[in-house]
Amino acid sequence: MTGSIAAELMIVRKRAATWILLGIWIALAMFFGYILPYVSAPDGPEAVRQAEIADLLPGQLVSAVLEGVPFFGGVLVLILGVLIMGGEYGWGTLKTLFTQRSSRTLIVGAKLVALGIVLLGFAMATFATSALASLVIAWLEDAPVTWPSASLVLRGIGATWLIFAVWAALGVLLAAISRGTALAIGIGILYGLVIEGLMAALFDQISLVQPLVEGLLRANGYSLAATLGVSTAATQENGPGMFSGPFVSGLQATLAMAAYLIAFVAITVGLIRRRDIA
Amino acid sequence: MNAVRERNVNAAAPENGRDRERRAPAYDAYVDEMDGDTLVIETRGLTKRYDERTAVDHVDLRVRRGEVYGFLGPNGAGKTTTLRMLLGLVRPTAGDARVVGAPAGSPAGLAKIGAMIEAPAFYPFLSGRDNLRVLAKHAGVPEARIETVLEEVGLAARAGDRFSAYSQGMKQRLGIAAALLKDPELLILDEPTNGLDPEGMLEIRELIRSLGQGRRTVLLSSHLLGEVEQICDRVGIIRAGKLVAEGTVDELRGRDWLRISAEPLEQAQSVIRRVPGVEQVSRNGRALHVTADPSHAAEINRALVSAGIAVHELRRERPGLEAIFLDLVRDHETEVHA
Ligand SMILES: Nc1ncnc2c1ncn2[C@@H]1O[C@H](COP(=O)(O)OP(=O)(O)OP(=O)(O)O)[C@@H](O)[C@H]1O
Ligand SMILES: [Mg+2]
Repeated sequence: MTGSIAAELMIVRKRAATWILLGIWIALAMFFGYILPYVSAPDGPEAVRQAEIADLLPGQLVSAVLEGVPFFGGVLVLILGVLIMGGEYGWGTLKTLFTQRSSRTLIVGAKLVALGIVLLGFAMATFATSALASLVIAWLEDAPVTWPSASLVLRGIGATWLIFAVWAALGVLLAAISRGTALAIGIGILYGLVIEGLMAALFDQISLVQPLVEGLLRANGYSLAATLGVSTAATQENGPGMFSGPFVSGLQATLAMAAYLIAFVAITVGLIRRRDIA
Repeated sequence: MNAVRERNVNAAAPENGRDRERRAPAYDAYVDEMDGDTLVIETRGLTKRYDERTAVDHVDLRVRRGEVYGFLGPNGAGKTTTLRMLLGLVRPTAGDARVVGAPAGSPAGLAKIGAMIEAPAFYPFLSGRDNLRVLAKHAGVPEARIETVLEEVGLAARAGDRFSAYSQGMKQRLGIAAALLKDPELLILDEPTNGLDPEGMLEIRELIRSLGQGRRTVLLSSHLLGEVEQICDRVGIIRAGKLVAEGTVDELRGRDWLRISAEPLEQAQSVIRRVPGVEQVSRNGRALHVTADPSHAAEINRALVSAGIAVHELRRERPGLEAIFLDLVRDHETEVHA
């Protein structure tokens, strides 16, 4: 198993798409998380400006990162998940892998573990670059540097990883179902952008859909983020990732996300085990 | 199938140079004691149906340890589908297969099998060497094997290039290298010389021949009859999913015959008929097709000359596998249209 994980890690590590997606995600996180809010902070009364800037200082690191994870980050790692599984179908490499020595379960398992490790790297890279950005802002503003507690940062990284893992696993599942990349990316983005967004927007008008919306990835992701300090006001201004509720408890959100992760992985493994490899 | 088998009964299977050189005494021993233990591949009623189409139809394949087995058939006959089932990539609709003593596709079996099915499939952004590294890690093979197999297939010099930049022949070589990585007991190669230049074909054939020596078994699919004729100990011919003939190349090929052109032909025919040892004489265009042991050639010639017949040509002919193959395939075509 460790050999297979090492093999799969080598594949993702040497694949340009991994690094391109990481670069895009970090750039997005920096731009929308720090650069844009900083340069657009109102010039008005000093107190208003200070309140805006405070969100960008090291003390607010965890909430600043998590604001962008449930939606922008999710859709981006969904693409990563699609590429990792869809590529195998595109290149026909499953037949090569499945004639080595290990069972299909083990190989797909190794692939998913490798993806999980990469996502942990993504989460840590996001925190590291965000910490750096907040430090720069503190220095520019001459503000005192106080870091959030280590336990909050760890929980933040954990929540980021869990949200990433669910979206990426959805990408893997879509790729496995469609046995390719193109359709899976299309459907994944359609779902993440349009369906989740429409449902969340509808919630404002029709209370009937509330239980449904509470089950969506975005609702659970944002609920998880909210327990770590992301303000509901901030999520409402999140552009196409806009979310105004309903929020569920942190425990419920964590359990729901874990259940999604397990379900996506189980269906993927079951599918790949059962089907013929062309 | 019966026709071919019948022909085998009285065939004295002439030993030629290739056979003597290829068949080590050990091989004959394996063949003699052909019991369960010597069968590396054994399928029973192996069948695969896709909707209405039956791709593989009750195939009973038996491949013995140490032989190079050629799996021949026209396009769409079911070769690749059969090989996929042997590797567990495709689940049979009916029947079962045991490969190297384990059920098809089980990890225990796969550990002893090296395979290349259809076009070689690798990660395009990795070098040839890195692709092998990935497979070695998955298979638990020491990395030292990688350079060995790269040398073996003649790809060492370009092993650092990305797979996507390889020519078709180089991709094919990498596929064979990957199949060799585990130093497998059984090699399953689906049209291994596909896309190679003549020199490459020759190299790979020699490689396969050398690999097939000793206890290693090679199952090779092809529609190149010459190739199969050159490197295989035994051949199975598959047509429309059914195994229609099986035997050594010589068994399938039947006996050598004599081609004689002489003047006048009618008279020559009746003279030859009277020569002892001649079994059959028939017209074959402007020549005669004589079924007789080729050692009678001199006698036949003498009889013709003393009867005052001008002999233009007297040649020993070896029926090619191709003729038999085409016969079998054409039989089928008439079946289909009937
Ligand atoms: N996944 C599939 N779905 C439907 N039909 C299939 C599938 N795979 C193979 N077939 C059909 O099964 C038959 C046998 O195909 P197969 O690939 O085994 O032939 P082959 O002997 O390897 O031919 P070739 O010499 O062209 O490689 C063909 O009629 C093919 O169309
Ligand atoms: Mg084929």
